[in-house]
Amino acid sequence: MSARFRVGMSLAQACQDIGYKGEIGYQTFLYSNEPEIRSLLMFLVEKLPRERAEVSDQPTGKSVVLQRAIAAVIKAQLAVPWLPSNCRLPLFDETQCPGALHSFHVQSLSLPHCSKGPGKKQLKEVMDYQRYILPPVTAQFSRHTSVLASILEQHIAELSAAQEWDNEWNSQGLLSRLTPQDYHCRKLTRMHKRIKEQLHSATLTSPESPLSRLCSTSDLSELLQAFRCSDHVLTKGTHFTHTQKFTFTQEVAAMTSSIPTGHQSENDIQLCQQEELTLLQQQFHQLCSDVNQLAVDIKHMSVPYTQVLDELKQNELGNSEKEEKIQVKKKTIDLLPDADSNLLKLQVLVEASAKRVVNLASQWEKHRAPLIDERRRLKEICSNQDLESSRKLSEIKTLHDRIRVSTEEAKKKEEIYKQLVTDLENLPQDLSRSAYTQRILEIVSNIKKQKEEIKKILSDTKELQKEINNLTGKLDRTFAVTDELVFKDAKKDESVRKSYKYLAALHENCNQLIQTIEDTGTILREIRDLEEQIETENGNKTVANLERILDDYKAIRQENSALAAKVRDG
Amino acid sequence: MELSESVQRGLQSLADPSSFDQSSFQVFVDVSFRSLLSSKGDPAVLDQPELRQIDQILLKQCHTAATTFILEAVKQNADKSTISSCLEELTFSAERIEIFYSTHQKHKKELECLLASIGRRPAQINDVSWRLQYHMKNAQVDKVNEPFYSISLKSENEGSSEDINFTCTMEQLQDLVGKLKDAAKSVEKASQM
Repeated sequence: MSARFRVGMSLAQACQDIGYKGEIGYQTFLYSNEPEIRSLLMFLVEKLPRERAEVSDQPTGKSVVLQRAIAAVIKAQLAVPWLPSNCRLPLFDETQCPGALHSFHVQSLSLPHCSKGPGKKQLKEVMDYQRYILPPVTAQFSRHTSVLASILEQHIAELSAAQEWDNEWNSQGLLSRLTPQDYHCRKLTRMHKRIKEQLHSATLTSPESPLSRLCSTSDLSELLQAFRCSDHVLTKGTHFTHTQKFTFTQEVAAMTSSIPTGHQSENDIQLCQQEELTLLQQQFHQLCSDVNQLAVDIKHMSVPYTQVLDELKQNELGNSEKEEKIQVKKKTIDLLPDADSNLLKLQVLVEASAKRVVNLASQWEKHRAPLIDERRRLKEICSNQDLESSRKLSEIKTLHDRIRVSTEEAKKKEEIYKQLVTDLENLPQDLSRSAYTQRILEIVSNIKKQKEEIKKILSDTKELQKEINNLTGKLDRTFAVTDELVFKDAKKDESVRKSYKYLAALHENCNQLIQTIEDTGTILREIRDLEEQIETENGNKTVANLERILDDYKAIRQENSALAAKVRDG
Repeated sequence: MELSESVQRGLQSLADPSSFDQSSFQVFVDVSFRSLLSSKGDPAVLDQPELRQIDQILLKQCHTAATTFILEAVKQNADKSTISSCLEELTFSAERIEIFYSTHQKHKKELECLLASIGRRPAQINDVSWRLQYHMKNAQVDKVNEPFYSISLKSENEGSSEDINFTCTMEQLQDLVGKLKDAAKSVEKASQM
């Protein structure tokens, strides 16, 4: 009993937790009656998640369409019977016939780039290479699948690079007010500078390294050049490989040329050639290292050479200055013998030049004022233009944004349209739709009828009300008139006075009568309401339920006491 | 379908009737599909008599663009409307779109197989053989008395078959069977979306 009670209580609690407002307890489940359970079930059914309805209501997303396609493919593959491997046909079904697999292996492709406009002329040799030597993309690698992977990868890389550039240009490039090419250049120089700084700081930390002396070099390319020099071992290695390749091809050429000469003493010839080859190789190596050595020497020498050149230039400059000074001194020495007259002349000259200076100054003032005004005006115009341009820039930016947003919207809408079209095609074209609409129409017409009836009843009651009001008004007025008339006569006549009294009594009695009639009406209505309530309560079988609950209570108490007794005994 | 600038440019010059006339366009599309499908890259694939009069650089650019476009279309499983709208934007005429699309349909299945062959795949189980054994006792315990199964799964991967051998107790086998059933059920569920 108690177990049943507990289960019922937990169920009731759960129902209340999801928001059931009606009366509910354990008895609802144990001693159910029809209306209660009905309302409870209605409530619960409404609470059920309506996935289906939502799915059919909303336009299906792209992922849903994809998932459906996947599901269809899986279904088709499940329907295919399994075949042992010797019964399979090639290309029959790729799920059952797993061919050789290849890993996703990417190599960089070399593509013929289109020259953008006439400004970027490519080298003729490059053009020739692209025209006659470069194989088409599908023939650039020996492995076939890596071609496919590489093409896809290349395309994705280009796309993402373009997107990134777009983003950067929209966010920063537009604000900098440069053309795209200028922006590129500036970014490049900035990058160079940053790299150079990094390299400098790295070389400064290790002062004994040979690179530290290069810190003063001003250009990145020079620095890189220096690096290349210090990485001599590496370049040597590549030289070595080059020579190897070269000798190898030579060997092959020699082999091919030696074949037609004959078979006699082939071994001897080969030996001879081998020796010769090794000799040549050694010589070649020697020469190579010599060349490298010399190149390094030249580089070493070039630094003092430039220094010496600089010194030479400076010395020349100093020389010319000194020569000028000497000439001035020579002139003054020439003027010395006739000192007085020359002094006078000089004074006159000085005065004239002072006058001229004053004159020029006044003239300058005259010219200066309008020029300054002009400058001010131009400055203003400039600032105005600046303002205008920044305004236009912001406008352009908003326009860009709007364009982007609207293109995105258009794309989205197009996709939705496509999906809706496919959905429409996929929709089952049966009769249920028309049946539904018919039913809806029927319901609507029923509701219309009911509405009309309600209107009729309402107008009836209104009319009745009006009549009642009319009648009461009439009554009041006639009573007032008769009252007045009878009252006038009552002063004169005794019998009339009596009749007046009767009249008053009659009026009062009638009023009481009407009151009682109204009261009976309300009471009747109340009685009807109460009867309805009693009926519903009877439907709920409250009394029986209460009795049952009492019984349950007794049973639980009995059980409890029995258990307690057991515990005591135990 | 998003295309990069170089691909767009290549396709535009492919659409241009002044550089590709009708017959050379047909040949070119055929050649592009064939070059993707042939297992070893043939450097002379563009060496067709119809394509002689076209500049080789332009031809190679167009070839790169066309192969990229084909692969992207197959990768995204593009339908006819997508392909044709994409090509229309690149000023292809309706006739050329029709030629391209029909060739595409002809080779789509093979290209899908080719793209599907890039990647990895676990081995497939084709068959199983089993034996019920009884473990009575061992050096340490006198009475073990437990049944166990030795199972050999015959699997196949990339054409070569391989056996996977293991033993398991009753519970482990039940667990395995339950897992397999779960897997089968989820595949079925996935097919009924």
